[in-house]
Parts: sequence; structure tokens; C-alpha cells
Amino acid sequence: MDKNQAIIDFLFQCPQLRDNPTFFNFINAKDNNKQIVTTSNDKILDTSFIDGSVEKQFTFTIIDFKSIEYNALVNQAGYEDENMVDFLDTQAIIDWINEQDNLRNYPNFGSDCIIDEMKTTNDNPSIAGVDSSVQPTLAKYSINIQIKYIDNSKKLWY
Amino acid sequence: MAISQFNLQAGQYAQRKELITVAEWTEGTGSEATQVREILGTRTESSSIEYNNDTSTTTDIRGINYTDLNKTQPQQTFDPFLVLGGSKLGAKLNDLRRRNALNEFNQFTIYVITKYVGSAGAYEAECHTGCSIFITSLGGDTKVNMPIEVHLSNDYKGSGAPGLGTVDKIASDFVFTPEVQG
Repeated sequence: MDKNQAIIDFLFQCPQLRDNPTFFNFINAKDNNKQIVTTSNDKILDTSFIDGSVEKQFTFTIIDFKSIEYNALVNQAGYEDENMVDFLDTQAIIDWINEQDNLRNYPNFGSDCIIDEMKTTNDNPSIAGVDSSVQPTLAKYSINIQIKYIDNSKKLWY
Repeated sequence: MAISQFNLQAGQYAQRKELITVAEWTEGTGSEATQVREILGTRTESSSIEYNNDTSTTTDIRGINYTDLNKTQPQQTFDPFLVLGGSKLGAKLNDLRRRNALNEFNQFTIYVITKYVGSAGAYEAECHTGCSIFITSLGGDTKVNMPIEVHLSNDYKGSGAPGLGTVDKIASDFVFTPEVQG
């Protein structure tokens, strides 16, 4: 079972990713485009158990590109600041990920793997940078996601 | 009986997962009684059989020590022993715990299987009947932990010694075949 494909299938349940162009690792960055970025998962974090199973971590990042405005905030009823609206839209991805963990709705890593936990490593999106080489200027909001799972593929006994 | 050699290449170490402790008990009664088995050690990072050797040593007038091994009381602790979905032993022990059924904690058969001794279809194993498994605590931080102690009886069906034999495979439906003594 390809875990990256499992992640993509899973994330397409999230409205923010399902309803916007989503790319894998490489992207043509535009407003509202999403990018799923893989990371090398360090084996040093693995925990081996005496029955041969191993606890592993699968981590990846979602980059959410949002066009930005340079308008001062206005204290006026009904006024919506675009940057704040965009931030909340990205925040909704984090909330969705953590809600799935509460529901124990996880990606399908195959019959050899049991997912224990899925969480974002931060409560809020972080700003990973601003790309002013494109018009409109894009903010890169970053969400790191960590999945802990048990890999039973090396067990002798079932 | 000849001593069995390790089925490992020279210098190759045995993997921890090749030393297997299995609990067996009976569910139901009469014609509905069934044997249930579960491997111990799921989510346990380290666990060893402690032999709790009882020894006595005397020293003769030349200063030479003579140490006798009087008895062993083998015991193995599994910590953590997490409450996991699908764990029949966990459910069994939890039932004994909540009923405080003290006289039912000692009705387990324990197999210790050494996959690194023997060959495919005949891995060496020992069988202890009338063993005890105790819960030592219940709780934890983010996961419910129910650590257990397994006390091996050193007894195989009243023989006064562990049953020695082989198992035909590393799976819950293994068949234990006692060695023919002689």
C-alpha cells in the first residue's frame, strides 16, 4: 500500500483540498492552490516492540497558497480582511485533520498497519514565506501533519 | 537427548521476536469449552524472563565456593500491556480484575517458544501449566495501560517440570508436541 496515495485519497475528503487544485510535491503556485509535500521520515524515531512490530511516524506538510493584500485593518461592522479570511480558511484544514483524529478516521495504510494517532504539530498555520515573484503576491501557509502508526509487517505471529 | 543447536549462522544474533511467550486459557465450559491463545508483548519494547534464582553458597576451608541452585521462580513482566482492541487476554484479565476473581488468575498455560532453536515445523518450546497472570496496575497517561506479571509454574501437567517439546509453526493454531523421554 502506497502511503502517499493513501494520504492523497484521505485528504480529498477535506473540502479545502477537494475543492481546490492540489499538487503533490511540485506546484504551479496560485491563489488557493494546495501542495502536499513529503518529508523523509527518520527511522531513528521508530520504536521496536518484542513481537516484531514497529511504531513509525509518517510526516508530511500541506502548503496552502493564499494571495495577500496590504490593506490596513478597518474597525467597521461587516468588514472582512482578506488576509484574515484566508488564514481562517487554512485553519479549517487543521481543524479538519484534528477532527478526523477524534473520529479515528484515518488514511488506509493497508492491513499491515494500524494508525494510532494523527495530528497537526501546531494549532495554527505558520507562514512559511511570501512569494512576491508572482502576481498577486502569495503567502505560503504551512501545516505539518504527523501520523503515528504500527507496522506489523515484520511480525512473526498473527 | 542431544542438545539442539541454534539455527543461526555463526555470530548471528537471535532477534527478540524469535523468543515468544504465549498465554493459553479455556473459555466456556463443558462441550462449549475452547482453548484461546494470545502472544504476549504487543506494544512492549522490552521484556525478559526473570528466573529469580534461589541459591545458596558455602565456602570450604580452602576458600573455594560451592553454589547450589535450589529453585527458580521464573517470572516475566509486560509493561506496557496496553488495553488494545482485539486483545482477548486483555479482556479476560479485565473481567477477572473487575470481579476480583482471585482464584482464576492462576489458570493459564504458558508456552515459551524459541524460534531460534529447532527447524521449520519443529521449533523448540516449553509448556508450563497452571501459571498465573496478574495485573499490577491500571491507568497511565494518554493510553490505558494494564501491566501484567506472568509467573511460570515450572510444571507440565503435574510432572514437576516444564513440558519440553516443539511447536509446528509460529501461529496461534500451533500444535505442541511433547518430547519423548528416554
